[in-house]
Amino acid sequence: MVNGKFNSDVVIGLEIHFQPNLKSKLFCSCATKAETKKNENSKDEPNTRTCVICLGMPGSKPMLNKKALDYGLKLGLALNCSIALELIFSRKSYFYPDLAKNYQISQFELPLGKNGEIVLSSGKKIGIERIHLEEDPASLVHPNTIHDSAYTLIDYNRSGICLIELVTKPEMRSPEEAREFLKKLRTILQYLEIFDEQTGVIKADANISIKESGYVRSEVKNITGFKEIERALLYEVERQKQAMQNNEKLVMDTRGWNALTGKTTRLRTKETEADYGYIIDPDLVPIDITQEMIEKTKRGLPELPDEKIKRFITKHKLSPIDAQVLAMERVLAELFEKVAEEIDPILAAQWLRHELVKVANYHKLALDQLRIEELEIVELLSMVEKKEISDRTAQQILSLLTEKGFSPRQYVKEHKLTIVSDTKELEELCKKAIAESQPAIDDYKAGKEIALNNVVGKVMKYTKGTADAAKVKDMLKKMLR
Amino acid sequence: MNINTTQQQLEKINEEYHYFNKLCNVQTKKTGKLKDYVISVKDALCVKDVETKGGSAILEGYKPLFNATVIEKLLAEGATIIGKTSQDAFGFGTFSTNVGNNMQIPLNPFDKNHSTGGSSGGAAGFTQLAKKKGIKHIALGESTGGSIAAPASFCGVYGLTPTYSLVSRYGLLDYANSLDKIGPIAASVKELAMCLSIIAGHDEKDATSSKTSIPDYEKGLSKPIKGMKIAVIKECFGKGIDPAIKQNILETIETLKKQGATIEEISLPTTTEYALEAYYILAMCEASTNLAKYCGIRYGRHEKLEGNFNQYFSKVRSHGFNKEEKRRILLGTFARMSGYRDAYYIKAAKVRTLIIQEYKKAFEKYDILISPTMPMVAPTFDEIKRLTPLQHYMVDLMTVGPSLAGLPHISCPTGFKDNMPIGTMFIADHFQEEKLLQIASSIEELNHG
Ligand SMILES: [Zn+2]
Repeated sequence: MVNGKFNSDVVIGLEIHFQPNLKSKLFCSCATKAETKKNENSKDEPNTRTCVICLGMPGSKPMLNKKALDYGLKLGLALNCSIALELIFSRKSYFYPDLAKNYQISQFELPLGKNGEIVLSSGKKIGIERIHLEEDPASLVHPNTIHDSAYTLIDYNRSGICLIELVTKPEMRSPEEAREFLKKLRTILQYLEIFDEQTGVIKADANISIKESGYVRSEVKNITGFKEIERALLYEVERQKQAMQNNEKLVMDTRGWNALTGKTTRLRTKETEADYGYIIDPDLVPIDITQEMIEKTKRGLPELPDEKIKRFITKHKLSPIDAQVLAMERVLAELFEKVAEEIDPILAAQWLRHELVKVANYHKLALDQLRIEELEIVELLSMVEKKEISDRTAQQILSLLTEKGFSPRQYVKEHKLTIVSDTKELEELCKKAIAESQPAIDDYKAGKEIALNNVVGKVMKYTKGTADAAKVKDMLKKMLR
Repeated sequence: MNINTTQQQLEKINEEYHYFNKLCNVQTKKTGKLKDYVISVKDALCVKDVETKGGSAILEGYKPLFNATVIEKLLAEGATIIGKTSQDAFGFGTFSTNVGNNMQIPLNPFDKNHSTGGSSGGAAGFTQLAKKKGIKHIALGESTGGSIAAPASFCGVYGLTPTYSLVSRYGLLDYANSLDKIGPIAASVKELAMCLSIIAGHDEKDATSSKTSIPDYEKGLSKPIKGMKIAVIKECFGKGIDPAIKQNILETIETLKKQGATIEEISLPTTTEYALEAYYILAMCEASTNLAKYCGIRYGRHEKLEGNFNQYFSKVRSHGFNKEEKRRILLGTFARMSGYRDAYYIKAAKVRTLIIQEYKKAFEKYDILISPTMPMVAPTFDEIKRLTPLQHYMVDLMTVGPSLAGLPHISCPTGFKDNMPIGTMFIADHFQEEKLLQIASSIEELNHG
């Protein structure tokens, strides 16, 4: 990889694991989540969601959860992977106390999908080397910290839960590209509805190297969450650059990411690759993946972000940036499409991508956690479109709408929020304001232009913000001439 | 049969012959085809709440939480499960001399100085003895590379190894999952057929179990074998075979001819040359992954918690595994490691495909293939001690071919040499158990009728 094969100074490859939102484990019918009864907090007692299969009891045999294959196929096809003709599982042997069978059922020889890609907005393609299904091990529990506990407990509730692993080619040339890649991946997962962002875990191992060191790789293990992956990449690139500037020699190593300190630390210098002694799992017969299954899954795929962006631009005449922002959030994109049937698409796009996102940020909620009724939004925006209410009024109503349901039109009527466009009425109100603002008027007349805002504010107050502020200002200026 | 008498009888027999690792008395209903039968079960099969250790000290004290599917099926027919029969630990052996640490070696019912054969030695030995004592009994055995046929031959009983996937493996302690088959051992062909009818069939708990429809195996027994095309495997009569056995097989062939079967000779060069090596590589690779979980954390043997976990596991394993278990784990692990994987594991899998093709071609032309079950009669324990590990493995030459190809085969008692029984083996195409039972039945009539 040395000698100028890369024309940029950073090389990043990612290995991403996420837990698809399946109800049962990969090879048994145990639940993936603790059952929550009404009026009870979700309690996940250790080792309660287990059976002879996920505990690897002698004589038990794994049975594939077919839905996991559906999910894998969906993702593979959405990423334009070539799909294997057979689903084959292998035993990946390694010893660790959290591994019930001392081998993990994974895929090796023939991954479910390979040679896919995600296209960045620049048009650059990031290759997906492979995607495959595998089972999760159990979790180790320490009564105190890992160092000062006298014993280790094992909770097998996670044991056997399905994971989907996705390995990229080392084709990202900056943490920013990696961020865009991850954002795109996240959006695709949203569209496919195979990952629950609220409860699902996404983890990554990242390979990072820079040109200055001759591309000596560090592997950062176990970074959890989309945001953390980006943080870790930024830190690690910076660390490597710093090291080179200080004339340190970089060596291949494996590092851990500490989200609290925001730093990576060396776990070990790279030894030889672990040898997992893979064999085909003889308890699971190969399952044919037929052209029919592939076609059926393809037909069932939703319209994906890239196609949506194109359609928003051609059909709704949105700017590329508006189209992109909307399409990258499934909730926004779907809402936009419904609203755009009734409202001017460009107006709708502006309101959704700016105002709705602002409301979500204000409430510190994800978009799909907001209470959104498209009919209410349409009613609200149609008043904006016809200039029946001011932008400010509409913003306030939008914020309220995401908390509880009501008719915006009714609300405007009840609270008399219609724009005051009657000039006579406005003139009366301006006169009233002038009469009540003698000191400000004096200042204004003395040349302090800014003092007039105070008077405008009063008029806005009388009209509960429904008047057009610019128009009021003009009116006041004329009257004070 | 009075169960109490049987229990006392069993304890007495066991003191003398070591056929059981554990005695029990499990019956859930008193009606059904097996209501008058006692059933012994190879220790590799899970019986709920009954210590099940696959003949290995590493699983001492392990009581499964569930019944193997075959056990459920037998219980549903009114069977009484009387115990877990002794075996080579995890099935690793041909003579039942590789029993787990602290366990006893089963003795041949014809002469206690001789081996019962293995690895289902206790099962076959007890089947012969039960017959002599008039106990209505069928044994469930398990075969990976010949572990039903070999002891059946050495103990003079019938042993049927069904097509791979015909009988559910759910609840079977794994040796080599792609080779393991559960099958009956009995004193008569009729009992084999009855038992197979009960245990065969698809099981939704075993992904590898076949969905083929199950015929009534008992019904086909009386069909004449006239017109059956039979081939004798030429290579099985080469060097190393006991001349008395060769003679006996030739006589068996004559009787089959008299009944109207046509007999020809066939050569299976690939199978003869490579089956043994391919079998051992695949079996050990799979076995080494299966046995890794026995480390004293979850199942069976525990020891005092001392040292770090590597030290603890090493201690549990060094006490729990016998020499042969350790040998197979190490060889199997070696053969699947990168660097050796292509030369061993992958190549063995390819050879297996070639062998299946060779058999399939033979079955285009013939209904049945014949060979001796074993090249010798049951050896004495002294003779076994003198065998090198390689010679040990060589004994399986006849049985590993059909095992590797997943073909059904049956060992039938066809005579004696110096008072020790001789077995003849018949092999049929996949799912052609009916033909095997039919031919076995016609021989049985001649021997006894
Ligand atoms: Zn489970």
